[in-house]
Amino acid sequence: MPPPWLIISLVVFGASMGTVAYLILLERKVASWAQDRIGPNRVGPRGLLQPIADGLKFFFKEDYQPAGVDRALFTLAPAIMMAVVIVAYAVIPWGGMVQTESGRWAFQTASLNIGVLFVIAVLSLSVYGIVLGGWASNNKYSFLGGLRATAQMVSYEIPLALSLLAVVVLFGTLDLGVIVEKQAHYWLGFIPAWNVFAQPVAFLMFLVCIHAEANRAPFDLSEAEQELVGGYHTEYSSMRFALFFLAEYAGMILTSAVCIALFFGGWHLPWIEWLWPALAGNVDPNHPAVTTSILAAVARSFIFYGKVVAVIFVFMWVRWSLPRFRFDQLIGLAWRGMIPIGLVLVMATAVLVYLWGPNGRPNMRVGGWMALALLAANVASVVAAMIAGQLLPAPPPTNRRMAVDGSRFTRTPLPEGTS
Amino acid sequence: MKDSDLIVLQEPKLTLSDQFYLPQVLVGLGTTMKHMLRTLGGADRVVQYPEEKREDLTVEQGGFLRQTYRGVHRLNKDEAGRVKCVACFMCSTACPARCIHIEAAPAPWPDREKYPAKFDIDELRCIYCGMCEEACPVDAIELTHEYDLVGHTRQEMIFDKEKLLAVYDQTVKDEPM
Repeated sequence: MPPPWLIISLVVFGASMGTVAYLILLERKVASWAQDRIGPNRVGPRGLLQPIADGLKFFFKEDYQPAGVDRALFTLAPAIMMAVVIVAYAVIPWGGMVQTESGRWAFQTASLNIGVLFVIAVLSLSVYGIVLGGWASNNKYSFLGGLRATAQMVSYEIPLALSLLAVVVLFGTLDLGVIVEKQAHYWLGFIPAWNVFAQPVAFLMFLVCIHAEANRAPFDLSEAEQELVGGYHTEYSSMRFALFFLAEYAGMILTSAVCIALFFGGWHLPWIEWLWPALAGNVDPNHPAVTTSILAAVARSFIFYGKVVAVIFVFMWVRWSLPRFRFDQLIGLAWRGMIPIGLVLVMATAVLVYLWGPNGRPNMRVGGWMALALLAANVASVVAAMIAGQLLPAPPPTNRRMAVDGSRFTRTPLPEGTS
Repeated sequence: MKDSDLIVLQEPKLTLSDQFYLPQVLVGLGTTMKHMLRTLGGADRVVQYPEEKREDLTVEQGGFLRQTYRGVHRLNKDEAGRVKCVACFMCSTACPARCIHIEAAPAPWPDREKYPAKFDIDELRCIYCGMCEEACPVDAIELTHEYDLVGHTRQEMIFDKEKLLAVYDQTVKDEPM
């Protein structure tokens, strides 16, 4: 009998790769629905075999390597993109803890007590894939895409970390499994104690930042088709391109899973444990994550998975709704908008934890009043940031004068006979 | 550059919700969600092409009038079933894409001097402007309304005299534009 973490990691790997394939189909379907179309519907019933056709197509395409590329880095870049994302799957707490005769083990690949830190560290590495891909391609458009991605990632790591910090300060742990466990109870007996209700602003910041980390619209400046051909993967083809493509979706699964663990209670599905107590722990009422039933742990994983797919749908919904930012807007949103709000938010959370935490220490389960105070602090931090934003020095005046001729206000008479 | 050659662009004034951006994001998301739900409810605008054809649909359903489409050429035949063309080269002279290649030969019939021994049209070079049709003095070359023109090779898409005459046989009932 292999150890449970090995089985779990293999299943997670297989399931995530299968999900990635179907996410590409879902992306195309969502795009079609938003544009009054129905999307792929020819391969298999209702187009459900389309991922197989797409995958086969990638395999049969020529794996072209242009002259002048840095061969080692050109091959390494997509591999880095894919590898870092898969490594980070290890710390996602899919199913809480399981208690058996042989002891207590976490239903995940590796239960790291620095899980949040590990995810941030690994996510930052994925920018290497983009930068190296852009650099090794020996193509100015790819290079520009890589540069843009660097500036964007550097800017958005900070609000991402700040929004994580607001959660970490509150719960006093970096272990994703413990963070999930502390959300698995109720305020007033029926409101799920999910972090999103206590810290909605931190959640919104996190959501915006993971969009930026995923390099997807409206933050897809590094692969802006209209300006940069294809951005950092312009020169890539065949399975090398497919790896970039799959890594984008695998990264979405990862960041969505972290989002679920931090803000939506992970495997916790409210009210259902009143029907099936093992789902919310049947060993220790103070540790709802621990259950004796492996079946319950598996069910938790499916709940977690369902929530992840819901967040990914939001990713796609946003992509097909919003236009791309201009680059100064992109950087301005991070540095003038989210970083000040995030700083205020972390400070407010820290003060509240100091005032109301047990002995002023953070390691706590959030009570109802605390949640209300956090909510108020969230709203207040946004209001404070809006007021502070008005006090910031104004940007330099824009030159709004432009030549009449050649513009749409041209006075040049039209040729005879046209209207 | 003089001041009179310049204009000062006035950007639209942003409301508070525009400035804060997020409310407008939600409005945009609402619009796409409305479209998604409508499409899932069966209000899509898709024409399942080979099974469904636009010419069979009304304008409201996205249909189009086939009679206004300039498609594949045909070489007309006269009452005796002979090719009408007299190999005068008017069409290939008028052709802006230079896609018509004619080789003339003495006609085997007494009523005309020449007839086309070869008459090739490269359907891939053709821009379907209809100039050949207008130039033809004997109404021998015409554009049909056939739009579903496909082939596996470039060679296959060069239509010779037999093929163009065969197009006439298939579309003889069609009224040209």
